[in-house]
Amino acid sequence: MKAEAIEQALRDLVSAYGDGVLTGRDGSRTLVRLSEIELPPGCQPTSTPLLIVFDPDQAKPIPYVRPGQLLANGRAPRSASIQIVGGESWMQFSFNIPWAEEHGITRFIASARQRFAQND
Amino acid sequence: MTEIGLRVPLGVGAPLMETVFRQGRHEYVALGLVSTAGDIGRNTMLLRRVFTLDEAAYVRAPGHGGAWRGTAMIPAIEAAMNEGLGLVVFHAHPHDGPPRLSGDDRSSAGRLLQMFAARVPYRPHGSIVLSRTQAAGLITMPGAPMVEMAPRVRWLGASITDWQPGSRGHRILDSAAFARQNLVVRDDGQLTLADARVAVVGLGGGGSHVAQDLAHLGVGELVLVDADRVSSTDQHRLVGLTSLDIWLRRSKTRVIRRAVRRIGMGTRCEMIMERVPGPKAIAALKRADVIVGCVDNLHARADLQDMAWRFLIPYVDMGVNIRTIEIPETDGPRVTIGGNVLTLIPGGFCMWCCGFLSREKLAAELRGPGRNYFENRGGEAQVVSMNGLVASQAATEVLQLLTGFVGTGLTHGSLALDGQPGIQRGFRKLDGVRGTLQDWGASRRPDCSFCNEILGAGSVVWTSPR
Repeated sequence: MKAEAIEQALRDLVSAYGDGVLTGRDGSRTLVRLSEIELPPGCQPTSTPLLIVFDPDQAKPIPYVRPGQLLANGRAPRSASIQIVGGESWMQFSFNIPWAEEHGITRFIASARQRFAQND
Repeated sequence: MTEIGLRVPLGVGAPLMETVFRQGRHEYVALGLVSTAGDIGRNTMLLRRVFTLDEAAYVRAPGHGGAWRGTAMIPAIEAAMNEGLGLVVFHAHPHDGPPRLSGDDRSSAGRLLQMFAARVPYRPHGSIVLSRTQAAGLITMPGAPMVEMAPRVRWLGASITDWQPGSRGHRILDSAAFARQNLVVRDDGQLTLADARVAVVGLGGGGSHVAQDLAHLGVGELVLVDADRVSSTDQHRLVGLTSLDIWLRRSKTRVIRRAVRRIGMGTRCEMIMERVPGPKAIAALKRADVIVGCVDNLHARADLQDMAWRFLIPYVDMGVNIRTIEIPETDGPRVTIGGNVLTLIPGGFCMWCCGFLSREKLAAELRGPGRNYFENRGGEAQVVSMNGLVASQAATEVLQLLTGFVGTGLTHGSLALDGQPGIQRGFRKLDGVRGTLQDWGASRRPDCSFCNEILGAGSVVWTSPR
């Protein structure tokens, strides 16, 4: 992702989530942490911090949730895996989340959130 | 006084000392860029880089130990701002014992630290004076006033050299239990072992050996990390395992903790029944003095490598790889027996530098599906005696890192492979058919993007973008 696209995404996130947005850097990557997003009904827990990684070498942002997040059926999302990001554990999940700069980051997050509405 | 630590990677400590202990017309300073690791038991600064000043930057200032032009600090300050790092000014008082900050040190630190904090407010900044054995400093933590502290300094080199504030006390260890070992590690080394916390990740054929070796050596605390329970397929190689354990399907952490306790050297165990990089495992690894990886896949190795470099923790990796030869020669070996013991000292070569890890190898290990594919796959060939050979070398590497019984130098040269000055020792390869464990050595690649980005990166500092 280009630097301008990352900056625009950051502005949009601050506009949408206000003080719930924190940013950090890890090498060349920009990390954005949303303190809490609501997940679809039944998920355990019902909300999670969300980490979004903007990597200049990747075409689109990569979302992560807190490890241990379960779907409404009590299972972990299929093909989810724990990974280290910035020295912390985060859970990456497999889902084809469309990304287009013109649609904006908040729509991307809404799509990511929908992953947790699907019971595997 | 508040407690704070400073970790210095291999290859950075020696030039820093050389600069600040230089004899001349005035005191010499060096400027260090630091990240932080706030959750490893105390506030810890991780030194990433050092800037020195040209002789022309110093000015004559009667009554002051050393004075320099403010403009000479601009490159370091710019780098700190660009990379989001703290700034520490180092100088030296060339004597043994605790150094004292002079009135001049205090007044200049007051001005400088305020200026540094205005530029990078979310990192600590400091002015540290080194003696030949200890450190003292004025440190300002984010949002807090400047305070005087005696930092614990950890120098990484051929071994771990710790400078502790104050005396170490006079604990008496069981002298009979360690009498023969003391001939190698001495009393100081034995105390260091008793104070050490070593994480052993993976408690199968390799890790079970390593953990028990470390308990015999007198390591004070072991962090035992493994998510698995034992099964009958472990019985031929997991040292300390009993039939009852298998029947009860006990966790590997519990089996090894019992074995460690029976050795009776007072080693404490923390059991983490979780795979790396689970959150409990990661939190426990951050507090380790040394990490020993006894894992069977490259993804876990990549995670351990990341943690070790990020938080400046030496990492010893071991593994054995036995493969069947499909069409063996008549009367020839039916298998190849390979293996490795890597001693990875932050600041030296990493697994990416030496090609042990690569994106291609990680992708090949995944083969398309998720990580749980290979974490739950069937086991590969394992033989207890071959594991033991490699595991004992891994434990010996830990002994060297903690006690320095074969050297304590801080330079890359002090780790050079015999007769090959550019090659760092610590990449040992097993040829199990011949029965040799040979050090091939490896070199740090200056263009290694992993080293350049992650070494000493520490924890992410979260700030509001507003």
